[in-house]
Amino acid sequence: MKRILACMLLLSALSCQNDEPIVIGSDDFFGSVDKVTEIMVHDIFSPPVASRIYVYPNIAAYEILAVNSDDYNSLNGQIESLPRIPAADDPDVNLRLAAVIAHMDVSRRLIFSEEMMESYRDEKYKTWKDQNSKEFEASKAYGLLIADKIAEWFDGDFYKETRTMPKFTVNTDEVYRWQPTPPAYMDGIEPAWNKIRPMVLDSAAQFMPVTHPEFSMEPGTKFHEELMEVYEVSNKITEKGDDSEEIEIAQFWDCNPYVSVTRGHLMFATKKITPGAHWIGISKIACDTSNSDFEDTVFAMTKTSIAIFDGFISCWDEKYRSNLVRPETLINNYIDDQWEPILQTPPFPEYPSGHSVVSGAASIVLTSIFGENFSFDDDTEQPYGLPIRSFPSFKAAAMEAAISRLYGGIHYKAAIDNGVDQGFKIGELVASSLKMKN
Amino acid sequence: MNRYIVLLISSLLVLSCSKSEGRLFKSLPSQQTGIDFINEIKETQDLNILDYLYFYNGGGVAIGDVNNDGLPDIFLSANQRSNKLYLNKGDLKFEDISVTAGIEGKSDWNTGAMMIDINHDGFLDIYVNAVVGINGFDGHNELFINNQDNTFTERSADYKLDLDTYSSSTAFMDYDKDGDLDLFILNHAVHTQKSFGNASLRNERNYETGDRLLRNDDGVFTDVSEEAGIFGGINGYGLGVAVSDFNHDGYPDIYVGNDFHEDDYYYLNRGDGTFRESLKEYFGHTSRFSMGNDVADINHDGWPDLISLDMLPEDETVLKSSEGDDNIQTLKMRTERYGYHYQYTRNMLFINQGDHAYMETALLSGVAATDWSWSALIEDFNQDGEQDIFISNGIPKRPNDLDFIRFASSDKIQNKINETKLVDREALDLMPHGKVHNYVFQGTNDLKFINRSGDWIENDTLVSGATAYADLDKDGDLDLVINNLNSEATVLENTTGASGYLNLRFDFSQKNPFGIGTKVYAYHNGKLQYKELYSVRGFQASSEPMLHFGFANAEGIDSLRIVWPDNTCQLLTGLRTNQALLIKPENNKAVDLEQFRREEQPLFELVPDNLGIDFTHIEDRYLDFNRQKLIPYQVSTLGPAFAKGDLSGDGLDDLFFGGSKFESSRVYIQRGAGFEEEIFPEVKADSIKEDVSAVIADLNNDGKNDLFIGSGGADFFGNRPPLLDSYFISSDSSFVKSEIPDQFHNASVVRVNDFDKDGDMDLFIGNHMITNDYGKIPQSYILINDSGELKVSAENVLGEAGMITDAIWSDYDQDGDSDLIVVGEWMAPVFYNNNDGKLELSTVKLNALNGLWNDIIEFDMEGDGDPDYLLANWGTNSKFRASAEQPLKMYYSDFDGNGQTETVVANNYQGKYYPVLGLDELGSQMINLRKKFTSYRDFAGKSLEMIFDKSALESAVVLEVHTLESGYLRNDGGAFSFVPLPSELQVSPIQDFVMYDFDKDGSQEVLAGGNFFGVTPYHGRFDSFPGALIKNDGSIVSGNRLGLDLTQKSVRHLSILEFNEQTYLLVTFNDDKVQVYKINDLK
Repeated sequence: MKRILACMLLLSALSCQNDEPIVIGSDDFFGSVDKVTEIMVHDIFSPPVASRIYVYPNIAAYEILAVNSDDYNSLNGQIESLPRIPAADDPDVNLRLAAVIAHMDVSRRLIFSEEMMESYRDEKYKTWKDQNSKEFEASKAYGLLIADKIAEWFDGDFYKETRTMPKFTVNTDEVYRWQPTPPAYMDGIEPAWNKIRPMVLDSAAQFMPVTHPEFSMEPGTKFHEELMEVYEVSNKITEKGDDSEEIEIAQFWDCNPYVSVTRGHLMFATKKITPGAHWIGISKIACDTSNSDFEDTVFAMTKTSIAIFDGFISCWDEKYRSNLVRPETLINNYIDDQWEPILQTPPFPEYPSGHSVVSGAASIVLTSIFGENFSFDDDTEQPYGLPIRSFPSFKAAAMEAAISRLYGGIHYKAAIDNGVDQGFKIGELVASSLKMKN
Repeated sequence: MNRYIVLLISSLLVLSCSKSEGRLFKSLPSQQTGIDFINEIKETQDLNILDYLYFYNGGGVAIGDVNNDGLPDIFLSANQRSNKLYLNKGDLKFEDISVTAGIEGKSDWNTGAMMIDINHDGFLDIYVNAVVGINGFDGHNELFINNQDNTFTERSADYKLDLDTYSSSTAFMDYDKDGDLDLFILNHAVHTQKSFGNASLRNERNYETGDRLLRNDDGVFTDVSEEAGIFGGINGYGLGVAVSDFNHDGYPDIYVGNDFHEDDYYYLNRGDGTFRESLKEYFGHTSRFSMGNDVADINHDGWPDLISLDMLPEDETVLKSSEGDDNIQTLKMRTERYGYHYQYTRNMLFINQGDHAYMETALLSGVAATDWSWSALIEDFNQDGEQDIFISNGIPKRPNDLDFIRFASSDKIQNKINETKLVDREALDLMPHGKVHNYVFQGTNDLKFINRSGDWIENDTLVSGATAYADLDKDGDLDLVINNLNSEATVLENTTGASGYLNLRFDFSQKNPFGIGTKVYAYHNGKLQYKELYSVRGFQASSEPMLHFGFANAEGIDSLRIVWPDNTCQLLTGLRTNQALLIKPENNKAVDLEQFRREEQPLFELVPDNLGIDFTHIEDRYLDFNRQKLIPYQVSTLGPAFAKGDLSGDGLDDLFFGGSKFESSRVYIQRGAGFEEEIFPEVKADSIKEDVSAVIADLNNDGKNDLFIGSGGADFFGNRPPLLDSYFISSDSSFVKSEIPDQFHNASVVRVNDFDKDGDMDLFIGNHMITNDYGKIPQSYILINDSGELKVSAENVLGEAGMITDAIWSDYDQDGDSDLIVVGEWMAPVFYNNNDGKLELSTVKLNALNGLWNDIIEFDMEGDGDPDYLLANWGTNSKFRASAEQPLKMYYSDFDGNGQTETVVANNYQGKYYPVLGLDELGSQMINLRKKFTSYRDFAGKSLEMIFDKSALESAVVLEVHTLESGYLRNDGGAFSFVPLPSELQVSPIQDFVMYDFDKDGSQEVLAGGNFFGVTPYHGRFDSFPGALIKNDGSIVSGNRLGLDLTQKSVRHLSILEFNEQTYLLVTFNDDKVQVYKINDLK
């Protein structure tokens, strides 16, 4: 009986002779993006490195669609270093499928835990192959070819070289300089990120923000006022308690992949998504809410991730130029040695606020695609135990993300205001100079 | 030499003995002993290692004769279950009288246990610690008063000893010398806040976690902690406490081992009821996760030494998958900004230097890595006259497993844990077990221990904690009782028997009947053994209150000198061994304690004003590990350059000190009243360079000395001008810069000699390394003096002579001319024979003698008239291991093909090579490894061949080190063989030697100085070498006993100064102020 059943199954499998067309929708693309986010949380990548892991797979997917379509323009010629990729010559290629395959493969190369991506991929491959092996093989060949081309391209972005560049040397003699902060006292991360090849910016320093208020511990100076503001705002919020709007905002936008917790015997980092990942999440929500088709989804997410990528380069350039001390260090040393910020201070210099720059840049690009008053419910942080927040526009979300850093006790006001400003400029440049959709 | 042969033979004997006679310790089953005690602990959702950090610390053991029948009885405390008391019925059989005795206890979480006759009625009482006030634990410390009929009554409240704190252990001593015994109660902190805060937190007393000193006021105990100067902070993770008169001033002192980032405390008793915490002064560094500890004199000098346990794994797989030391910048910050001391994750063995800073030798001694260690007991278990060490070990789950930490790091998991506790089981299961066997080490002379685990004891898989010793079967040797977690307590019967033991019990006074604090100096065959009676030892335990000695089968001993707690003394002679004695004070006389402290008049005496030489070397901030992340050690701290010679033309020696990067050099001119700084503008202006070596010599034959400076510093790179050396010619009353060939190198040594005998001085320039390309061999060369013009010699090409650190011109073949010998890192000494003014590689053969050589000096060690050569090496007190058969290896290559070379240093462990660094460090430079190994489990335990591709290893240049020992090349008629120096000279890298007739006995001695801080926290800090005088009879005198103050400083140069017809020693340090010592004439 068993054997007969097996035969029948085999027959039915053969007779289906998988020739149904493979249908690929936005969800397939989201699936790959979500997988990348999950692996990044597992592998613990710093925010700048995370932005790099998002952008290249997106571009690979986008270029596959663009070079084979009249509706979208290739980024070749718009991003200076990006080579022209070949159009598909096999008529069996399903472009959407090839785009998803390229996305998975480029992602796999960028993360550490390849086996996590591979097991996801293999399952997908099997489904598609069962559906239509001819279409699948053709799309796979093309997708992997483009993945190779994109990998060759990103290999030259100076990332590899920056891995072996000097670590940040802490100078604890000068009070204005950044120092590692409690509880983990980690080294400053990615001190050479400004060496990474930008996509749209002409250089890391193109939108250098105005300098922060001059360091001074003299009461009455701008700097000192802003320091006291962090202290007082934080104290006021703490008084209001855990249910206050400000604490909710601070936690919602925390996005610090390095938070350390003490439990029982040890201290360890808790894993969270990065600010880049949060905005990737928002762009996903926007595509979803607007019922964007596959192509528009890839387009929107690619453009947003380019703004985030350049945003980090620009922001990190200034961080290690100004090399400014975090409020926690100063408050503990001069004002209140028991004070702890509501959020954990992330391990890099203060000025400007990374959230502010990146949120500013991403919000402008999203606005340019989806419009000014695009309201949405942000559930990105739900898997991490945080509630949904609703926003009337991308810019409103960006402004809240920015001010959350003050509530969190990890940034001075100048880093937020000037950071958002810097981000807006980057966003505007990306939005206007990249002509992607006709 | 004889000593080594004896050692060899004796170790052979021991080996053969153990084969024929079985194990030294026999584990007795509970069926035989009747001891079926199990400290069973139950993990629940609310109580486990995730919630309570000391969930696995276990219970206590106390041994003593509670019914005065002459047989030691055993008390065992259980964390969550009833305590047990077993009466010794003789013949290693025990009777459980717990229920009738009334000692089962009422606290929810019992910890340490000890026996003390608190009401001095001649019967031992029992005190049990408890953790109260966290995790819902209720109760208090309990004091079970002996009713003299095998029953006990809990009366802690009557004595004010019913503490309800987080207590782990109690020690007792008569700290105020009023005749009765006072208590020190160790409490442990819990993680209460996220940041570790400033070290000053220890000054604010905290009720639950602060340690207590309780003064015995006629049977009621008064908390005098604060007035006595005992810290009581929220950061005191106290797990170990040891009492001893460490400085021999007659008052007991206290060492407290604190877990985590809090420093250990070294309380020196001032004798006025207060203590002076002096850790930083006496200890260069300590264990980091300090656990149990123990005190005993292991080197026969009559001063108590100390072991402090930590958790460094021996096994490669465990090592590489466990969290270890801090990164270097975090450590710098914690020490420099937050006020903590240097702490490293390994056991530490501190050798007492006689009220000077301790010498720390755990790595050299072979006892540094015993994994998750709890109790240490130093005793002579095999009775051969040398102290052995037993270390109990194990943990059910390793919370410092890196993969577990990564898993627990997920925010999703955290939320689940916090909200539902559901993940606890899963999290707990993810932690690997740490059921590592107990360790036992056989003591030898020369500070070395031989690992006898699996030989003297069976390798177990138990989780062992508190351990106590006693002579349970009255056969004279020491048996052990161990409290295990979730298994029956272990009873180890020592099978040594009557092989020359002497057991001493004391009947001292009414208030201190057991004579706690009694010291015994036992002399036999010219060898001293020193012991002091404090029965609370190891970890959460007290042992039988007696002193045990072994005399290696001797039938009698020469003498015993007993110093009673009241500082009276009595001498016993003509004692037989193999007996147990009860000693009472008889004919005891007050004694001048100074005789135990006395030091000869020191040879060296610090000159307060330094003769005016106020030079302080300031090292620049450059950190090699930030640029070349895998570099094995820093190479940027070789300075300062130093040279001595007449610069002012008055025939008196003047001094030149080089500056580090961006710091000016300084010149001191000798005048009648002392040395005075003089500024030579051109020399001073040359401040960008880092000066590493300098010579003062008349290079242009104008009768006036010139100055040549070798620059380096390992920071400037390529053809940067600061890498050029400098040549200043004496001109009128100043110095002007003169031309030399452009050679861009990191110089390490400049040595002058007219080796070609043409009447002018030529120079050897040795170079050390190539900036950003460590591992590549730089060019070294000869500068030939051509009528004052210095040219790179084309005739004498040295080429890639090695990573040179030092050189001497010396006529090694005694043919009447100057030959050149160079030494360096990852190389053997190289001899260049002077063949008629031309240097040629000599035919001298040195077998497998690559070292990390720092210095060389000619010295006739053998006194046979031909030159021997003393060689300074890295020392063996290191994580590096090297031998001719299993050399330390360094692979140099661009492993990941990114244009930047790396070095991977590998140690041999059990026949295979493993990288010294872990996945995080290697992966920070070679990012592809992070892809290849996505978990620490994958990486841990993998040998080099499994980590790197075969082709990558094959294409790498491999550099080797065959010995890390400092030693000397013995000259046997022109053939040279290497003889290592004793252990005292292997404690740190030696940096310089100077030869002089220090003791005016008509023959020369050599003084050695050293220490080195340029290593990562994994290696620790080489800070405890006090310097040493090497006499030409081979004997060694520690610098501490010569009046030198060289510990916690890193010596670069030792130099003899003549000033106003008096001789001085000038010591130059890296990153510190120079010292000048007057050399006393002791004749």
